[in-house]
Order: sequence, then structure tokens, then C-alpha cells
Amino acid sequence: MATPRALPQSKETLLQNYNKRLKDDVRSIVDNFSEIIKTAKIEDETQVSRATQGEQDHYEMHVRAANIVRAGESLMKLVSDLKQFLILNDFPSVNDAIALQNQQLRSLQDECDKKLTSLRDEIAVDLYELEEEYYSSSYSLWDTTDLPLCEAYRRRDSWASPGPGSAQGDGDELDGPPSQETKPQHHLNGHGTTSIEKP
Amino acid sequence: MANERLRALEEVEKEIAMILQCAGNVLLELSKDKHNASFLDRQLAQFLSSVNRIESELSGQIRYLTQVATGQPHEGSTYSARKDCQMALNRAEYAKVKLGELGRTCELMLDQQQ
Repeated sequence: MATPRALPQSKETLLQNYNKRLKDDVRSIVDNFSEIIKTAKIEDETQVSRATQGEQDHYEMHVRAANIVRAGESLMKLVSDLKQFLILNDFPSVNDAIALQNQQLRSLQDECDKKLTSLRDEIAVDLYELEEEYYSSSYSLWDTTDLPLCEAYRRRDSWASPGPGSAQGDGDELDGPPSQETKPQHHLNGHGTTSIEKP
Repeated sequence: MANERLRALEEVEKEIAMILQCAGNVLLELSKDKHNASFLDRQLAQFLSSVNRIESELSGQIRYLTQVATGQPHEGSTYSARKDCQMALNRAEYAKVKLGELGRTCELMLDQQQ
């Protein structure tokens, strides 16, 4: 099966074609320009009358000027083709551009994540204090199976260094009876306490 | 981020336009009754130097491409880094939205207390 070739020419033929176009267009511009200058020279009347010669010269200059403009347009098209070829096939610069872009994107991502991490740390500190305030106030409703973060930290610290009467921490100052929970399980979701709240 | 070579080709395009401009100026000056010789010389010199410069620059670019081009397609991409960055920006945006809600809730509670 004959597959249709997307690129009808090889790379070398394409570049030779570019070279040829460049030489042809530059030569066309220079030759036509010099011919116009030569035609502008006023000569003595020859076989044809001056009016006819003038008309002929006028037409020739017109055509040569159009040729110069066409060659200029062709050069612009060549430059555009070269730009396209460069973007697609100049691997060193494409690799550099990709590496630079990757580096910029990664640095932006790192900066973003660093700022989010510092924000998280600041908010965690404030949250700890807020929870301590909230769960030691009369506004919170919590059951015995859950502990607020501050209470959990206190208990963990007291278990780490056990001492007389230190298992309850400071949360029971309003009430005499000990904690109702007997097992050391606690949930660190900020919804539990011991027996501070009394109806 | 534009490539140096692409910038050089942009300059070449401007030079081509200047070539045509110089040629037109020369012929315009010749069409007058009295010619300004120095102006003609200047424009002609500029025309010729621009033509030479364009030819040498474009030949250099084509020579470089002859050495560098392989005919194979380039398969690199920035997709993964771009996706990661986009996710980081989404995280930041989400955090901003949540903090905004938190702030509004706090203001609401304070207004109610007052």
C-alpha cells in the first residue's frame, strides 16, 4: 500500500531548495534594479521614435519594478519558511526552551507549595489555641469518647511522664469526679472531652 | 523566550523591507529634474550593503540548519511540569476559598454577638 508522504522531500533537498530560492531572489532584485537604472539613461533617438521608445521604457520599468517586488515577497516567504523549519527542527534551541520552561514552572510550583506549607503551620498554631479556648468554655458539646486536640496532647504528655494526679491534666478543675473513660483511646478530631461539661 | 536565531530572522525581514524602500527612493530621486547626488549615493550604498547582509545572514542560517536538522520530530514537552504547576495553583486557590469562607463565618458570628 502506497502511504502518502507527508514530507515529499528529504531534509537536504528542502535546504537546497531554500538556498536556490535565496540566490534567485537576490539576483533578481539586483539585476532588475540595475536594469531599471540603465533604462533610465536618456539616449539619442534610434530606429523608433522617442514616444515609442518612451512607452517601451515605461512598460519595461513597470515590469522590472513588479519583478523586484515579487522577489522581495518571495524572500519574505523564504524567511517565514526558515523560521518554521527552525522552530520544528532546531533541536538544541527547542531543548533549551523546554528546559527553561520546565524550570520556571517547577520553581513556581515550589514557591506556591512553600507558601501553603508556611500558611498551614501558622494556622495550626492558631487552631491549637482556639481549640483550647473553645473546649474549655461552656459552649462546646462533646462526648466522652472524643478528645480535643489540646486535651489529647496533654494526656499524651502526662502518659509520657506519669506522676501522681497528673493523668487528668488541667481540664477537670471544675469537677471533682475523675474521668469517665477507662481506656486510653482518644480521637483527635476536636470533639471529645472528659467530664467537664455538666448539664 | 524567543530564540536568538528567530530574532535575527525578524531583523532580516526588516532589512528586506528596507531594501525595497531604498530602491524606491533611488528611483524617485532619479525621476526628479534635479538630483541630489549625496542622497543617491547614500541610498545606493545602503541598498547594496543590505542586500549583502541579507544574503550572508540567510546563507548562515541555512548552513546551520543543514548541520543541525535531523528530519525526526521532536518529542519533548513541558506537559508534566505544567500540570504540576497547575495543580499547585489549584491548591492555593482552594486554600484561598476556604480561608475566605472561614473569615466570613467569623465576621458573621461577631456581628451576631453584637
